[in-house]
Amino acid sequence: MFKTILSAAIAGIEVIPVHVEADVSDGLPQFSMVGCLTHEVKEAQDRVLTSLRNIGLAMMPKHITINMSPADVPKSGSRFDLPIILGILAADGAIPADSLEGVMAVGELSLNGDLNPVTGILPVAIKAKEMKIRCLLVPRLNEWEGRAVGDLKVIGFSNIPEVLDFLRRGTIPLHSGREMPSPLLNRYEEDMSDIHGQESVKRAAEVAVAGFHNLLMVGPPGSGKTMLARRVPTILPPLTLEESLEISQIYSIAGLLSPEHPVMGTRPFRSPHHTLTPQALSGGGRIPSPGEITLSHRGILFLDEMPEFARRSLEILRQPLEDREIVIARASGSFRFPANFLLLAAMNPCPCGYYPDANQCHCTPREISNYMNRISQPLLDRIDLCVECPPVPYDDLTGNARKGSTSQEIRSRVAAVHEIQRKRFAGTKIHFNSEIPAGRMEEFCVMDPGAGKLLKNAFSKMRLSARAYHRVVKVARTIADLDGSPDIRGKHISEAICYRSIDKKYWRI
Amino acid sequence: MIKNGDTEGGADNTGGRMTNDSAGGMPDGMKMVCCGTAAYPGRLNIIPDKPETLYYIGALPEDIPTVGIVGARLCSHYGRTQAFEFGRALASRGIQVVSGMAIGIDCYAQEGALSAGGRTFSVLGSGADVCYPKSNYTAYREIIRHGGVMSEEKPGTPPLARNFPKRNRMISALSDILIVVEAREKSGSLITVDFALEQGKTVFAVPGRVGDSLSDGCNYLIAQGAGIAYSPEAVLFELESLKRTKNSEKSTGNSEPCENEDLPVKKRRTDLPPVRKSVRNPEADPGLSKEARCLYKFISRDPMTLDGLLAASGLEPSEAAPALLELMMSDYIEEIARHSYVKK
Repeated sequence: MFKTILSAAIAGIEVIPVHVEADVSDGLPQFSMVGCLTHEVKEAQDRVLTSLRNIGLAMMPKHITINMSPADVPKSGSRFDLPIILGILAADGAIPADSLEGVMAVGELSLNGDLNPVTGILPVAIKAKEMKIRCLLVPRLNEWEGRAVGDLKVIGFSNIPEVLDFLRRGTIPLHSGREMPSPLLNRYEEDMSDIHGQESVKRAAEVAVAGFHNLLMVGPPGSGKTMLARRVPTILPPLTLEESLEISQIYSIAGLLSPEHPVMGTRPFRSPHHTLTPQALSGGGRIPSPGEITLSHRGILFLDEMPEFARRSLEILRQPLEDREIVIARASGSFRFPANFLLLAAMNPCPCGYYPDANQCHCTPREISNYMNRISQPLLDRIDLCVECPPVPYDDLTGNARKGSTSQEIRSRVAAVHEIQRKRFAGTKIHFNSEIPAGRMEEFCVMDPGAGKLLKNAFSKMRLSARAYHRVVKVARTIADLDGSPDIRGKHISEAICYRSIDKKYWRI
Repeated sequence: MIKNGDTEGGADNTGGRMTNDSAGGMPDGMKMVCCGTAAYPGRLNIIPDKPETLYYIGALPEDIPTVGIVGARLCSHYGRTQAFEFGRALASRGIQVVSGMAIGIDCYAQEGALSAGGRTFSVLGSGADVCYPKSNYTAYREIIRHGGVMSEEKPGTPPLARNFPKRNRMISALSDILIVVEAREKSGSLITVDFALEQGKTVFAVPGRVGDSLSDGCNYLIAQGAGIAYSPEAVLFELESLKRTKNSEKSTGNSEPCENEDLPVKKRRTDLPPVRKSVRNPEADPGLSKEARCLYKFISRDPMTLDGLLAASGLEPSEAAPALLELMMSDYIEEIARHSYVKK
């Protein structure tokens, strides 16, 4: 007899509904599975048959065929165990034929019939809601994650007998339906005011976040670059519930959500180690899984010790920094991942870290230029701001320095600037000042005469390149926005020049 | 047969390098002068093992007041500005500047001389047609135009470490006064000083702070009796008195300085030129903003970070940035590395 049950496959961050078809008939005992399956999916047959025997439902030897349609979509992972076992039982007549109508099931089997959690429940639940599914059956530990979507019946089961009870008699397990903790949005343990002193760095971070400019911090080891970077998510505008669900979907697929807190309440902060491979950064695998740039979507990607990263890894950032997404092409198709992140990078000024202190730094000019050369100019061109992170003096550590604004205060200033930008760029494809193309500079970045003159003088004096010009103007636009000024004034230009990006040609040695 | 082929090949190789650029057996613009000819710089004759042949591009130094400036390759910003300033100030008074065109002090001193439109000469450790280090190529071209590069090595000789100490004896021999700008305790520049002392030249050292490892060598030289190069005028003063001594030697025909001529030496101490003060005082500059004048108080010759300035002055970043740019634009201060400011 033939039965079918709905499940879902994940391709990239997209969910594709999959019909799991099971046919159980007389004939030579055989278990065959078809439908573009990876070996993890095919391993299901051993788990299914063994667990059936272990829960006392041993079947007569039969000819079992499983097909998953659409058969040309690659399917991987262990999430198909549950639909396969249910399909077989239904085809064999062990559960009522109509009980699988409008049901979607995902879950992994254990040999004793228990259900283990799987990744990607949240996007599956969102798809199920879209498809108006009657009921989504998931492993118990995934239940909260599925219910985070709302308006969808999600039932968690700890083992197969519970599922059978539900399908035969409609009995919902006792542990299911427990009250879920409401997601704690925007609760950060860190705060910008934790950092004493370092006013210039904090200011640069504020400008970076306000106009979505990427930021490079240069400073000796131990000067608090990482500490500051960790606090940058706290000054980004508050996470909305939609954004939270969007991020949570990615984390769900990557298997990084905890069962207790199935929804991301804070903006992501990713700080991959510099041994990172290009695939880990972009997303990789035969069926690609999200990489670091996608995991930092709507948050921060922090590259500490930037020149230590493999050049091939760094170069991958170039396209996503422009397009805010990455498209990965594999034999099985091309996959689109969102990658709308703010890049924070940190580096030492030289290999030993103490340049320009001639008493401590013994690096030769060649060593310094080799160190700098590990970062390509095209990548530097995408980093609008650069700030020096000086070593923290003792007085600052002991709390005598200015504490500066709290994250809350900065966040509200940033939110105001985001609102200005939303109005300014309404009807265009631009979202932030950092995205203003060179051709529309005059339209959006109106300078008063004094500012124009200052910029012109500063350019010849400081030998800035043409590339630097646009970046300075864009940053000045953000600084003017922070100041609430419709025109860019001289002081805004001055501050933008102060934080101008590094142009390697003029990195003085 | 094989042996023959080898030697022929070897000969061809050397020949190839020599005749690479011109048919005359020497690269373009390269000249040579032999010991004993009129064109040979007379000052080199005081070297016991003086070079038999001198290869050069451009010109050779004349027998006029000449100062050698040497120092550390990995120098600080202080060393860099002093080297440039001494080179510039001396060259602007028509004094020839001789150095080794190494990276660091040597090159900055020569760039200073070039900036004043003066004449400067490099003694290289490689062949005169080999620019080493390559990063100095612009300076190399300029030095050839406004002076010359010379070497006792054959054209095309690569920069071999063993040739470098040797060339120092020529730098000191060509100079009347040798100035050491920055040197660590064990610096190659001290080799040049040894040669200078053997050749009876006057040595000056630019003093530094006690504790700065880059000034240890200089301070030690001062302790041993080197002249203190507290300003270019001090060196000019010494050059003057050297000239006077020389002239008096010539006029009296006596190599021993006579008692009468020695008297001014005592007087000399009080005659020394005063320390030059910066003519420009931003405190009194009405064109500067209040913030700029306030910030300038906290900027010294030691690199000061932006953050340090903010903490010291109590200004907000948005106030300090315009002030700093103002000071930079009016040449009061300089940004030597990202957000490190020094007085100019």
